[in-house]
Amino acid sequence: MNKADIKLCLFILAVSLIIYCVMLLTSSNSANKKAVVYYDSKEVLSIDLNEKDTQNYTVKGYNGDVNIEISDGKVRVIEENSPRHLCSKQGWIKESYESIICLPNKVVINIVSKDDLDTIVR
Amino acid sequence: METKRIMRLSMLLSLSVVLNIIENMVPLFNGTVPGVKLGLANIVVLFVLFQYGFKDALFLSIVRVFLVGMINTGIFSIAFWFSLGGALFSILAMFLAKKTTKLSITGVSVTGSVFHCLGQIVVTCVLLNSVSAFAYFPIILAFSIPTGVLTGVISKELVKYFA
Repeated sequence: MNKADIKLCLFILAVSLIIYCVMLLTSSNSANKKAVVYYDSKEVLSIDLNEKDTQNYTVKGYNGDVNIEISDGKVRVIEENSPRHLCSKQGWIKESYESIICLPNKVVINIVSKDDLDTIVR
Repeated sequence: METKRIMRLSMLLSLSVVLNIIENMVPLFNGTVPGVKLGLANIVVLFVLFQYGFKDALFLSIVRVFLVGMINTGIFSIAFWFSLGGALFSILAMFLAKKTTKLSITGVSVTGSVFHCLGQIVVTCVLLNSVSAFAYFPIILAFSIPTGVLTGVISKELVKYFA
């Protein structure tokens, strides 16, 4: 590795840290979150994350049904049909800057704060 | 001489396909960090870029994406466009980095790995019509340094060996 290589690596590390910090800072701390599930870029399900009880939902995916579990303010994909099952291996997400994307099933799960939605409406 | 070149390139192509398949069989961190992988096939692309030039490397990457697509999920499937986006972004970025900067093969490899993930994220955003995929960007970006350095160092040794 020469000097230019090391500079490049440090630059990339700095950029990734900056983006990560911006994501952390701009994420809402509100406890008022909901998970929004999209299939083929259309919203198909919106679940309140304040419910403490474990709940299961099934949405249609491109390769078959996608099984989603909500528990204690977190959301995860339990079962889906895809070549490498990346989205079920990813596990739980709970912050508004996190997403679960199951590309083979064209399913996206985002976490949004309900306060943000109010702001938009206002 | 021409026959020898074609022979070598086709063997390198099959090597890159095999590396790609092996890599998909063994996910890093058991798949819990989505999108992070070693990028072993990039060793072959880098080697061809430095040993034979841009045209051959570009051709090899594209044919590799078609072959791996046929083996895994079929051509023009969602995963196919995803790989094609990554491969094209990465090879173009590596060509420009090699031509215009003072980066060594290791730095070129890191550039390729950064643009590979950028390409895949852009394709995901287009396919899903959503910018959610950028949520993965910082973590994949950070991991592209060690994986890029690893493939770069291996390619450097290979180029030295064959020079």
